[in-house]
Amino acid sequence: MAAEMALVKPISKFSNTTPKFGTPRIGSYSKFSIIRMSTTTPTPPAAASTSAKPSKKGKTAIKETLLTPRFYTTDFDEMEMLFNTEINKNLNQDEFVALLQEFKTDYNQTHFVRNKEFKEAADKIDGPLRQIFVEFLERSCTAEFSGFLLYKELGRRLKKTNPVVAEIFSLMSRDEARHAGFLNKGLSDFNLALDLGFLTKARKYTFFKPKFIFYATYLSEKIGYWRYITIYRHLKQNPEYQCYPIFKYFENWCQDENRHGDFFSALMKAQPQFLNDWKAKLWARFFCLSVYVTMYLNDCQRTAFYEGIGLDTKEFDMHVIIETNRTTARIFPAVLDVENPEFKRKLDRMVEINEKLLAVGETDDIPLVKNLKRIPLVAALVSELLAAYLMPPIESGSVDLAEFEPQLVY
Amino acid sequence: MMLGMATLTLSSSTAIVAANTQPNNNGNKLLGTRNQTLHMPLLSPPSCNLFLPLNKNSTRPFTTAVASVDSDQLSSSDPPSKSEANKYYFLVANAKFMLDEEEHFQEQLFERQRLFGERNIEQDFWLVIEPKFLDKFPDITKRLRRPAVALVSTNGPWITFMKLRLDRVLTESFVAESLEEALASNPTNLEFEKPEKWVAPYPKYEFGWWKPFLPFAQKEVKS
Repeated sequence: MAAEMALVKPISKFSNTTPKFGTPRIGSYSKFSIIRMSTTTPTPPAAASTSAKPSKKGKTAIKETLLTPRFYTTDFDEMEMLFNTEINKNLNQDEFVALLQEFKTDYNQTHFVRNKEFKEAADKIDGPLRQIFVEFLERSCTAEFSGFLLYKELGRRLKKTNPVVAEIFSLMSRDEARHAGFLNKGLSDFNLALDLGFLTKARKYTFFKPKFIFYATYLSEKIGYWRYITIYRHLKQNPEYQCYPIFKYFENWCQDENRHGDFFSALMKAQPQFLNDWKAKLWARFFCLSVYVTMYLNDCQRTAFYEGIGLDTKEFDMHVIIETNRTTARIFPAVLDVENPEFKRKLDRMVEINEKLLAVGETDDIPLVKNLKRIPLVAALVSELLAAYLMPPIESGSVDLAEFEPQLVY
Repeated sequence: MMLGMATLTLSSSTAIVAANTQPNNNGNKLLGTRNQTLHMPLLSPPSCNLFLPLNKNSTRPFTTAVASVDSDQLSSSDPPSKSEANKYYFLVANAKFMLDEEEHFQEQLFERQRLFGERNIEQDFWLVIEPKFLDKFPDITKRLRRPAVALVSTNGPWITFMKLRLDRVLTESFVAESLEEALASNPTNLEFEKPEKWVAPYPKYEFGWWKPFLPFAQKEVKS
């Protein structure tokens, strides 16, 4: 995967100690290149990167692919219409009011305080693991920061039409800013910092209509919760792998992610047209599949990170997928049958194909030959994806909306 | 500007927090008379803590931020109306769902308990195994597997939020004369079968994690 962050730059006052970073990226890491959306943005001279491969002209590039953490933007006017309390007089505000209380409570107001353990631990991490750690921090920081940008803007735009919803968005952007800031501080332990201002301007934004923002963001918050809590609980049980103290913060941290997901749940429940027809079911399955596959392929290219903290990458991912899917079944009208062993077999085949694709990119062939070699692989990947998508789904949904509710025994 | 937001140092923000909590605590001592329910205005500025500690000796559970109630009671010395003061909100489902399957639920309760401890707030939520008040709700009991477990709180919006989270639960509210009456339960033994296959890379939360959240009397019952 090519999260080639041109934006990681050495902090100048520490730059004497950065040569450790000169290690080239391990080969399997870069370029997931089926449908590559690369934006080549020249960076300011100051942002000379240690991690991106400099081109001949000395410029570095942000390469974005399908698997890069995304920056989202949406149709803010439509959002305003959806939650305008004047237009939607019967918009159920109870859940929003309850959520606002919960976000105002601010459970983690004093949680994200660093100590000297961080720097000490970072100094002990060396070799390939160090590079992988940096990448983990970069990607996590980018993801949190992208949430901050989106929520902040939504908070601003909805202020007039629905102050309650707007304030929740603002409070969520507070959480995301805190998380991104904490991760960026973590990068400073490795003598790096993400230039978030530059990131804001230089990154390509993916446009999603509001309903797709709801599906995608719901899933990314809930999957974030399951990833963090799984790592936390695993390391609590196996403290010998606790090589960097940031993981100790994950238990409280991921409760924020979980609450953010709940808010998107409430947003969707307030707009049942996004949940209750056959199109919604198809989209729900599509978003589940893309989020799960993206994570699986990403993580399988970074097994060193998960092994470094004592996890089996595929087992970890399957656990996260199964739990996220169970959670998602509380709101999405349909989810994938991820507990069917066939689903994992398909994911594993996708990993194999993706590895071959990556290998093609690593060869010295001219671009045309590379692309020709990719065609059958891309076709194979697409057919696996399609087959996974078409596996019989599981009907699901919130009991407040679902048709099966009357038969339910609690 | 956004960069500024995102890289906000935590040390400075916590300092602000500390500065703001202190006066609130003191201020509350004046308001926190026995049996008084404080209704905080929901839209208070973020620096103003939602939860204020109440006199430790109070016998009444402390009600926090009830959204639908007008906020002028905050400054009024009149006792709140009886029905509001004694109102309990609950959500209920079978014990296996509540205590064995939904592990994030455990995390939420401990998180809330931690927060209440940090801010010196009296507990206003409990887990009740086989609550007696269920007898008043035949429409609920006919759809409920037993033994059942209820999450009870005097904070209505919080129960609304927890319902949103847990989804597969039923909610209602009732009025009770005393905390003892509200949280009364029938002695019950809980047993959960071990999951057929446990694939998580960590152990399950231990059986009995819920004991700190049971009302006093029920803690003695061996589960």
